[in-house]
Amino acid sequence: MTTVLAICVAVLVTVSVYLMLSRELKSVAMGVFALGHGANLSIIAMSGSPVLADGGLRNPPILGVADLVDPLPQALILTAIVINFAVMGFLLTLLIVTARRTGTINVDELATEDRPDGGRAGGDR
Amino acid sequence: MTNDLLGLLVVIPLATSLATVALVRRPVPQRILGLVSLCSMLVLALSWLVRIRDGEVMVSQMGAWPAPFGITLVFDSLSGLLLCAGLLVTIACYVHGFSMVEPSTERRYFHPLMQLLIVGVNQSFLTGDLFNLFVAFEIMLMASYGLLAIGRTRRQMTQAYKYLLLNLVASTVFVITAGLVYGMTGTLNIADLARFVADRSNAGVPLPTGFTGLSVMLLVVFGLKGAFFPLWFWLPDTYHTCPISIAALFSGLLTKVGVYAVLRTFPLVFAAGDARDVVLPILAVSAGATMLLGVLGAVSQHNVRRILAVHVISQVGYMVFGISMMTTVGLAGALYYMIQHMVVKSSLFLCCGVMERHAGSDDLDEIGGLLKRHRWLGVAFFVAALSLVGVPPLSGFFGKLVIIRAGWTANWWLSAIGLVTGWLTLLSMLKIWTQGFWSPESGPRMNRGGDASGRVRCLRAAHTGIGILVVAAVLIGLAAEPIYDIAFHAAEQLTDPTTYIRAVDPLAAGSVLTASGGGG
Repeated sequence: MTTVLAICVAVLVTVSVYLMLSRELKSVAMGVFALGHGANLSIIAMSGSPVLADGGLRNPPILGVADLVDPLPQALILTAIVINFAVMGFLLTLLIVTARRTGTINVDELATEDRPDGGRAGGDR
Repeated sequence: MTNDLLGLLVVIPLATSLATVALVRRPVPQRILGLVSLCSMLVLALSWLVRIRDGEVMVSQMGAWPAPFGITLVFDSLSGLLLCAGLLVTIACYVHGFSMVEPSTERRYFHPLMQLLIVGVNQSFLTGDLFNLFVAFEIMLMASYGLLAIGRTRRQMTQAYKYLLLNLVASTVFVITAGLVYGMTGTLNIADLARFVADRSNAGVPLPTGFTGLSVMLLVVFGLKGAFFPLWFWLPDTYHTCPISIAALFSGLLTKVGVYAVLRTFPLVFAAGDARDVVLPILAVSAGATMLLGVLGAVSQHNVRRILAVHVISQVGYMVFGISMMTTVGLAGALYYMIQHMVVKSSLFLCCGVMERHAGSDDLDEIGGLLKRHRWLGVAFFVAALSLVGVPPLSGFFGKLVIIRAGWTANWWLSAIGLVTGWLTLLSMLKIWTQGFWSPESGPRMNRGGDASGRVRCLRAAHTGIGILVVAAVLIGLAAEPIYDIAFHAAEQLTDPTTYIRAVDPLAAGSVLTASGGGG
């Protein structure tokens, strides 16, 4: 199980790095999103398989109670998902506003936009 | 000692932020509410700081869950000092914003975002839990993204992405690291982690494999937030686009939260065992490069805002220098330097805002003769600039003195870089002083005449903000000893974590306290 998760994490991170290197901010945003998922999966992988080799369940290290899977990694991931979701919402909103104001979400074109004389008329894309 | 009111420092700004959302169309009630909230927090923090001046630790266990299970809020000398300085800076920048932030911007949720930023900053300073630190960072960053893009000018839009995306990646690395720390040690509570590390080193058991890797990952995350040497490139571009009051607040608070995170976690936990030999050289080299390259960058700039923004980096270098020694004196010096830097740097930014308003520009070629027309602004800037440089009786002197003297035996080359940096700082401040204030009045100041006349509104609030911070900067210099004493208590608790662990985590304390003085 951990192997499968590790492969998933590797694929997700690879895809996200590829996307983040793109010049289009939309793809960069998707890359960041994928990286967040990769991080969450890696926490699951780190917490180990809940079922031990002898069929018993892994005890949570801090609670010391039998017959429970350690809930803390799940709680961490849940929090991280919520935060990731909120940040993503903000990022996408910012993208839309930028596109409306500058007419582009390409990194190179935004860089020329930044120069005082490089501005071009705004408009919906 | 237990103090269950610690949560107030998070609850007050959160409640105020929600209340100001409801009042978003009415600026005056929002301002009053915001000021009341900030001032009441400052009073609370100061009164608690006085109570713990002998080096005690105030703890609040959320929901009465004992330490390693629940979330712990800790108010010790380190967080107390930073909370007070942070709130003072926030009040000044907030007041300054009353006359500097455009009314249209103010209506776009300026006040709620400010309060949310304070929620995040206060929680980062208070929390005793690594994952909660991540959550606090995220709250603070969310608010700062909003404040950065507030007003929605084109330049802000294009520059916001650098900050946003870099911080998103850093946060992801932080989540992964927090997960790995839990997997490796079975706990996320900082005191419990310190106990884990101290137990191991007392018993002679090596730390788990990969612990050094975790330290370095965390160093990258905090270094990016704190603008350490290779990771500082986002800072100058972000700080010169947003409204000046917000830039002043960011320069005072945001990078310091990154430095605080290093100061809190590394001496206690992540610079132990093998990791120490890896982390300390990285910190030392990074400190030297941050100081020198930062100040060289500042000397080469020609806009007041950019000079000040790049200076933030160079000053962070001194703090990292103090931390990189990992001795009590070094850490105390770094902490004292942080306090004075927060106040002084923000006051310089606030002065810069008024200069821009008077001269219509922050380009040094276009401004001049400000001293003749605005004498008190000149005096305020002069005092703040000399504090930054470190001229005795002003506050910067004592911070630099402690750090450089402590570093002379450990890393003499870093101290030498520190002295050169101080000299170059003087040079760049003189540049602003001679060209902005002392030079004869230059012609092009009317080039923005049309909108400048309408923009020079009542500046009383801005002057009040500057006054608060400049007076505070002078007082920090004159009252260096009591503040340094508290900083020294904080540093003692970092180098010998026994007090901290005993206060936060009484259940697990027995294991480590038989052999005190661990923690690597």
